Amino acid sequence: MTWTAMNWTLAVPELVLACCGMGILVFGVLSKRETFQLCSMLTIGAFLLTGVLVLPGAYGVGYSGLFTSDAFSAFVKLLVLVAAALCVVVSLDYNEHVNLRRFEFPVLMLFCTVGMMLMASASNLMTMYVGTELMSLAIYVLAAFARDELRSAEAGLKYFVLGALASGLMLYGISLVYGFSGSMAFDKLAEALADPASASPGLVVGIVFIVAGLAFKVSAVPFHMWTPDVYEGAPTSITAFLGTAPKVAPMALLVRAMATPFGQLLVQWQQLIVLVSIASMLLGSLAAIGQRNIKRLMAYSSIGHMGYVLIGLAAGSVDGIRGVLIYLVTYVFMNVGTFACILAMRRRGKMLEGISDLAGLGRTDPAMALAFAVFMFGMAGIPPLSGFWGKYFIFSAAVQQGMWTLAVIGVLTSVVGAYYYINIVKVMYFDAPEEAFDPRPASLSFVAAVGGLFTTFFFVFPAPVVAAAEAAAKVLFR
Amino acid sequence: MIATLAFYVFAVILLVSASMVVSARNPVHSVLFLILTFFNAAALFLLAGAEFLAMILVIVYVGAVAVLFLFVVMMLDVNFAQLREGFQRYLPVGATIGVVLLVELFMVLGGWKFAPEAASLRFAPVTPGVHNTAQLGRLLYTDYFLLFQASGLVLLVAMIGAIVLTLRDKGDGRRQDISRQLARTAADTLVMVDVATGAGMKDVGILRPKVAEPEPVAAAHDHGHGGHH
Amino acid sequence: MLFAVAVFAPLLGSIVAGLFGKAIGDRAAQAVTILCMILASICGVSAFVSLVYGGAPAGTVSLGTWLDAGTFHASWALRYDALSAVMVAMVTCVATLIHIYSVGYMSHDSTVWRFFSYLSLFSFAMLMLVTADNLLQLFFGWEGVGLASYLLIGYWYDRPSACAAAIKAFVVNRIGDLGFAVGIALVFVTFGSIDFSTIFAAVGQHQSDTYSVFGTWRAYEVIGILLFIGAMGKSAQLGLHVWLPDAMEGPTPVSALIHAATMVTAGVFLMARFSPVLDYAPGALAFVTFIGGSTALFAATVGCVQNDIKRVIAYSTCSQLGYMFVAAGVGAYQASIFHLLTHAFFKALLFLGAGSVIHAMSDEQDMRKMGGIWKKIPLTYAVMWIGSLALGGVFPFAGYYSKDAILEAAWASETAIGQYGFWCGLLAAGLTAFYSWRLLILTFHGKPRADHHTMEHVHESPAVMTVPLLLLAAGAVVTGFVFHEQLLGEHWQAFWGNSIQIAPTNHVLHAMEEVPGWVALSPSVIGLFGIAVAYLLYMAMPQVPAQLAATFGGVYRFLLNKWYFDELYDAVIVRPYFALSRALWQVGDATIIDGIPNGLATLTTDSTAQVVKIQNGSIAVYAFSMLIGLVFLVSIFLLFR
Repeated sequence: MTWTAMNWTLAVPELVLACCGMGILVFGVLSKRETFQLCSMLTIGAFLLTGVLVLPGAYGVGYSGLFTSDAFSAFVKLLVLVAAALCVVVSLDYNEHVNLRRFEFPVLMLFCTVGMMLMASASNLMTMYVGTELMSLAIYVLAAFARDELRSAEAGLKYFVLGALASGLMLYGISLVYGFSGSMAFDKLAEALADPASASPGLVVGIVFIVAGLAFKVSAVPFHMWTPDVYEGAPTSITAFLGTAPKVAPMALLVRAMATPFGQLLVQWQQLIVLVSIASMLLGSLAAIGQRNIKRLMAYSSIGHMGYVLIGLAAGSVDGIRGVLIYLVTYVFMNVGTFACILAMRRRGKMLEGISDLAGLGRTDPAMALAFAVFMFGMAGIPPLSGFWGKYFIFSAAVQQGMWTLAVIGVLTSVVGAYYYINIVKVMYFDAPEEAFDPRPASLSFVAAVGGLFTTFFFVFPAPVVAAAEAAAKVLFR
Repeated sequence: MIATLAFYVFAVILLVSASMVVSARNPVHSVLFLILTFFNAAALFLLAGAEFLAMILVIVYVGAVAVLFLFVVMMLDVNFAQLREGFQRYLPVGATIGVVLLVELFMVLGGWKFAPEAASLRFAPVTPGVHNTAQLGRLLYTDYFLLFQASGLVLLVAMIGAIVLTLRDKGDGRRQDISRQLARTAADTLVMVDVATGAGMKDVGILRPKVAEPEPVAAAHDHGHGGHH
Repeated sequence: MLFAVAVFAPLLGSIVAGLFGKAIGDRAAQAVTILCMILASICGVSAFVSLVYGGAPAGTVSLGTWLDAGTFHASWALRYDALSAVMVAMVTCVATLIHIYSVGYMSHDSTVWRFFSYLSLFSFAMLMLVTADNLLQLFFGWEGVGLASYLLIGYWYDRPSACAAAIKAFVVNRIGDLGFAVGIALVFVTFGSIDFSTIFAAVGQHQSDTYSVFGTWRAYEVIGILLFIGAMGKSAQLGLHVWLPDAMEGPTPVSALIHAATMVTAGVFLMARFSPVLDYAPGALAFVTFIGGSTALFAATVGCVQNDIKRVIAYSTCSQLGYMFVAAGVGAYQASIFHLLTHAFFKALLFLGAGSVIHAMSDEQDMRKMGGIWKKIPLTYAVMWIGSLALGGVFPFAGYYSKDAILEAAWASETAIGQYGFWCGLLAAGLTAFYSWRLLILTFHGKPRADHHTMEHVHESPAVMTVPLLLLAAGAVVTGFVFHEQLLGEHWQAFWGNSIQIAPTNHVLHAMEEVPGWVALSPSVIGLFGIAVAYLLYMAMPQVPAQLAATFGGVYRFLLNKWYFDELYDAVIVRPYFALSRALWQVGDATIIDGIPNGLATLTTDSTAQVVKIQNGSIAVYAFSMLIGLVFLVSIFLLFR
């Protein structure tokens, strides 16, 4: 093993980000004053710097096969970084307001992001596990960040216990795969499984366990149970974060794990993903209808969206994976924008979470109502908003693979889902107005505007995203 | 021959004590069985020629982790009877799932076979000429260096998390302030009282020491982490 | 670069006026849009000059990729060639003048900024249309002008008639657009691309491609017909013309810009743009000629009896568009664009002149209530004369050159359908002259028929309205002889470059020069005849028209009611459609379709309650449901793998 084979330079973005994180941590600890805002700014800066480092696209395999940098990982990393940066922006004002101004907050988000970047680049089951744990552990803490509040502490604890269970399942799956195939490296696994007939049932069961572990992270049914409680209990800035980057990275990892090492076993895992996908879409659209709390509603909404994304994976083609990536991009922007609006729901200094609190927003704050409506229509998949295109690419990929049932269920559930999204629009525009919200801080307006503009005008220039997603998807099917 | 015999002895004790860990009624006994399990596992490592791992297991798990467990179990007043209530309530469901899963795993593991080269590897686990520790070091610090670093980050995050979630700001608790201690003189704290002979507590009353509390406790409220309401 | 500025400056103006118009006020909104339009026209004209006279190379201005899905590529790009440059120059100039005119005309309106924003938006969409580098972008502009037209026709949305007209325009255009969209799809199927350069380069290779639906057709013919259906909708050709007269509900500057000078000519532009393909589709071209000739004649006959001043001009527009299609249909695309160009100036002039009259007559549009005002508004009177002379094809006004060229080309094509186009056009030329002077005489001469209150108020329009009129009048005079030789002469290729490609068998432009003398002379003669008749009937013997109308009551009513097209559509399409819709609404929708979702909704809310029930907050339940899920998945795996 020589140093040249290490290719450690491939991981420079991760290394730089981790070093920045430690630097900010030390700064925060040593500083006498309150440094939440400053550390947040530094974290955003670190994200931007890392993004710049990811962009040039040094591709290859490093760390004796543990780490892969390719178009796919670069795509996912950029998305994760953008999402994380926007979420830090979103938290600036909220944390200040609800007394969570502690510098550890951005630092934990930063380390979480390191974990997610590691997941995006994982090409070994062990990297996959360690990356996932790094991400999850940070989120557990973040979910319980408002430690003096019962809901938040409970959310963190619940997420931790169930997450540990899921990690256990995943580890067990990894050990089964290792035991039955003799390797944990993705490329070796792919070689060993080149002939699908040679796959023993043990290995296949191992895959099920791994899928279960990752499905927990993306909150796909039936591993979704934590989602509503954690979404509701966690500080809202963390709920915003939960719905974006920590969904993207595990989903990308799942895609890579299914496509690269287990790509030959498509028929074996396909039905699994199909089942999970259908169940997620159904539950996501049905259960959200009765919700009164907007954060809980967003939890079910995210379950449904992950169901749609899984359709793309189930298609198991370049087009399908491309659809997955495009969908994730559009979803991240809609989601972060929606939460920017939710975070702006504050009346006389009190945070609100009820859907009915939005009543008459169209009259009291037309700009915010418009942004909110754009996100809701986008999530419902109304053309020409970006959400429609995400669904379009996913469904067309499914249809190309002849998975009509899946596509039809997807369309039907999105119709049902449209009900509760549009219901919010109805509440905002047609219900009797309540008292106006407090003035919005600039940071939230900024994020809502970014999300809204992206969602609205995605159709004008979709080509860069589509081309990048296509390039990324092709990498997995070499 | 002796090695085989020793393997089976240690393995049996390990399995028995492991099952005792989960079934013992007294939590202290559970932890003690856990320690026994660790010891046997270490012995198995020794038999396999991984003496470094064996020592690490004893030092870290027995020396630190298990003892920590023991402390925690003894210090926390956990009502285990109450915990068991829940256990019994979910027993039927849990048992069913467990049994089904077990059956399935047996079906799966039935197809398991040793890799052809495993038999030879089993008796020569170490590359000849390379020290056990060196080999581990190579794995950890060269082959899996990335994972080593990442694990370091995981631990760092765990540490930050533990501090964030439990550490209260100053003012909540009493801390040692060395400068204040040194600056203190007898005059600050001691009052000389002339007590008449024969006068008991009844006459003098209880005298409290002068308490100098420069930091008001109220400051804590500003820094409390109230969360949203 | 200049070219891109010319296209996007109106968009900027529109956005500023539209988003901030309320805040910055009418004055500022007008200033911004007009400045942007002036900038655009300067850039547009200089781009045109540097291309045609300065020897700048033609090419495309790439703006970025739009869609890139598999083999389907579409990009945002501006095509910079003679055809688009001449259109850009014309559109920006006319639009600028009309913007300026509108300052005066709309001065009493309450939401001037909205009007200007729409007007600039329209200009932008029209420029996108003419500069498109591929069919999808062209379609974008096509729909954009449709949208702007809808908004502007219905600008006075508190008038029910304006709303109805806007909807009618939109719906009728939809029918044409359907043909266009299908045509685009077929182009993609045939050529594997929608890029103009790719398509035109591959024209030779797909000559014998066929397309099977209700029989087998040559693909080029089907494409030609489908695109022409799109053009029929936009350019108000016979059958899909019904929206244009109603569109006069919009403010008069709108009629001038959209429904005379620019948007309605988009169909003609499309024909010219697709000349490389169409030239190989003789069947489609014959159809184009037939519809064009028929429209020219039909609209002219209707125009002779209308009483609303704007409607007369609207039917005249319809008729003139017919001419342009005749020219395109016989392969003289250059002539059709030439007529488009001259027509843009003199028709915009006529509309704005009519607007000036309406303005003077306190918003009266009925010619029967005008008359005797020529001394009071001499300037308007003069420009209306110029416009009518140009429209009537009198030497040396612009219309003379372009209309003659079209008729000569029709004759020179030496096909039966070309002859049909020629004779229709010739008749229509006479009628055109007739109704133009009928309009002039009824409006300006004779005894005043308005009440004296209105007559007292008759006044010349302010300078902001008359100056554009004068500029347009200059255009109506000079465009004919300035451009005639360049566009149609021996060296037409020096002007057009590659923007218009014709098949090697197409010699119409050459044959035009050699038509018999009487063919060249006849339009002028018959035009003068029409003028004379109009003079006789309305000036010398003003009682005769009424007698004629009484004598030939049937014919008169037939014409007055526009050949009963609206009634026919109402009976054949609208009413059955309403009946079907009502049946679907009451039976299909209210009972069946509503019934299902209502049932589904109940079912959904019920199942929601069930689904949420297990979400009770207990970790143990959560963990067990995870494990049950896992066991379920593993079982499925082992059982069905």
